[in-house]
Amino acid sequence: MSEFVTLSLRATFEGQLDVEGVAADRFADRSEREIAALPARLGARTARLGDFFDVRGERSTRVRVDGALAQVHGLGAGMASGELVIDGDAGRRVAAGMTGGEIVVFGSTGAEAAARVRSGLVVVAGDVGRDAARAMIAGTLVVCGRTGAEPGRASTRGSIVSLGGIAVPVTYWLACTYKPSHVRLTLKYLHRHYGLAIDERVLDGRYRRYCGDAGSPDRGEILEWAPALSSNSANDRRR
Amino acid sequence: MKIRGVLIEDTFAEAFTMAAARIVVTAVNDRWARAAAVQLTGFATSVIACKCEAAIERELGPEETPDARPGIAMLVFAMNADNLRKRLVERIGQAVLTCPTTSCFDGLPDLADRVPAGRALRVFGDRFQTSTVIGGERYWRVPVLEGEFLLQESFGVQKKAVGGGNFLILAEDAESALAAAEAAVAAIGGIRGVILPFPGGVARSGSKVGSRSYKSLVASTNDAYCPTLRLTTDSALTEGVNSVLELVLDGLDAESIRHAMRAGIEAACRPGVRAITAGNYGGKLGKVHFHLRQIMSGVS
Repeated sequence: MSEFVTLSLRATFEGQLDVEGVAADRFADRSEREIAALPARLGARTARLGDFFDVRGERSTRVRVDGALAQVHGLGAGMASGELVIDGDAGRRVAAGMTGGEIVVFGSTGAEAAARVRSGLVVVAGDVGRDAARAMIAGTLVVCGRTGAEPGRASTRGSIVSLGGIAVPVTYWLACTYKPSHVRLTLKYLHRHYGLAIDERVLDGRYRRYCGDAGSPDRGEILEWAPALSSNSANDRRR
Repeated sequence: MKIRGVLIEDTFAEAFTMAAARIVVTAVNDRWARAAAVQLTGFATSVIACKCEAAIERELGPEETPDARPGIAMLVFAMNADNLRKRLVERIGQAVLTCPTTSCFDGLPDLADRVPAGRALRVFGDRFQTSTVIGGERYWRVPVLEGEFLLQESFGVQKKAVGGGNFLILAEDAESALAAAEAAVAAIGGIRGVILPFPGGVARSGSKVGSRSYKSLVASTNDAYCPTLRLTTDSALTEGVNSVLELVLDGLDAESIRHAMRAGIEAACRPGVRAITAGNYGGKLGKVHFHLRQIMSGVS
């Protein structure tokens, strides 16, 4: 058993690479060779992870992925437990359908990050594309950069924490502005455990709590960091 | 054996196995963390009447707490894990949930034995509560008037904790006994894993098991160590001992208590103190024995 399994993107490729098998829990009892043999898909063509990634380490639920991953999609999709760290940008559907564990992206992601997540923590140090946290059932998405269009659509109990700006959909309503204790705890944990840089202002900041989504009105929430508690932001004017 | 002229009697303190938890409360500042801690550990001197024994263990700086706010660590002791769970639900529910700005965390996260006190308390949220999992631990967000109360779901239980370590300070007068007890409390303060559950860390009403006159009493005054009864009862005091105070120690393990007893007794050996002794029941009731002369070996 290794402390980590590390996947380093080796090959350059044309097109879009889908790697929905890259989820920390699936590496728990697999050898290096078995991990390299996990399926991948380049466009319509079936391939193996090992065709694109160098695999180091085995039988661990702590996974690191590095390389130019912006065209690599589905990282962490369906992950049930463990820890997946993506050292750079990632493609679409990061953490889609995840049911547990933690995924930290030290870059930006494409569309549909954390879509349909049932449980777990997803953190993106950069920006996320459109449709983030779509149909989220529970769990938390923390976005340190800018959150793309239409976040949290059809979310029922999921939580989006936005630190770098978000256009809150009209189907979410402002409940209050407050200091959520769990956000502070989460951010401090991310700093201590993953070395994520956290600005003191967001740690001790006030957040606007929006509740939605109106399409399925339950307990979905967006917590938007309010840097100066300005009362004339676009979101406040609309409500 | 004497330390600076103070006799260390050849006897032992008899202590018991208990279940213990460490509660960490954080708040916006020291004032509010302490407000919750004082309430949580209040009326928790003796398990006989208070159902648990508790006290502040030490203050924690922001670098030591899960949310990087000022905090206080407390230890709570009960006779078993189920009793401990009940006491935590009562005390966290009444003293921390109610206290502005506080959050409540488990201070023994590495222990496999756990009690779900936070899970029980979540229902105060009347189904409006939500949970979040961070680092594999579940935390409950309970909506309250101020905003939200954040509470860890489960608390680690040290099932082999020890309660009832003790020593008695036999002094020439009340002032000397109190000064020695204060010095001992100061010396023990801050030692990790140990608390002194009595007021100010000191008990003046040391007790014996049962009563010679009242059958319903679980405990009554330890007449053998009451100076006013020196000529009335089968006294353990010699002439010249006019005041006695007791320190009772609970610890996460026996070694912590040994360490604290050594520091406390050494500090208590000062002018006006005649002897240091300890309370026991002949060794028949408690499984853990702290022999004073073994503990103090090497101290002169």
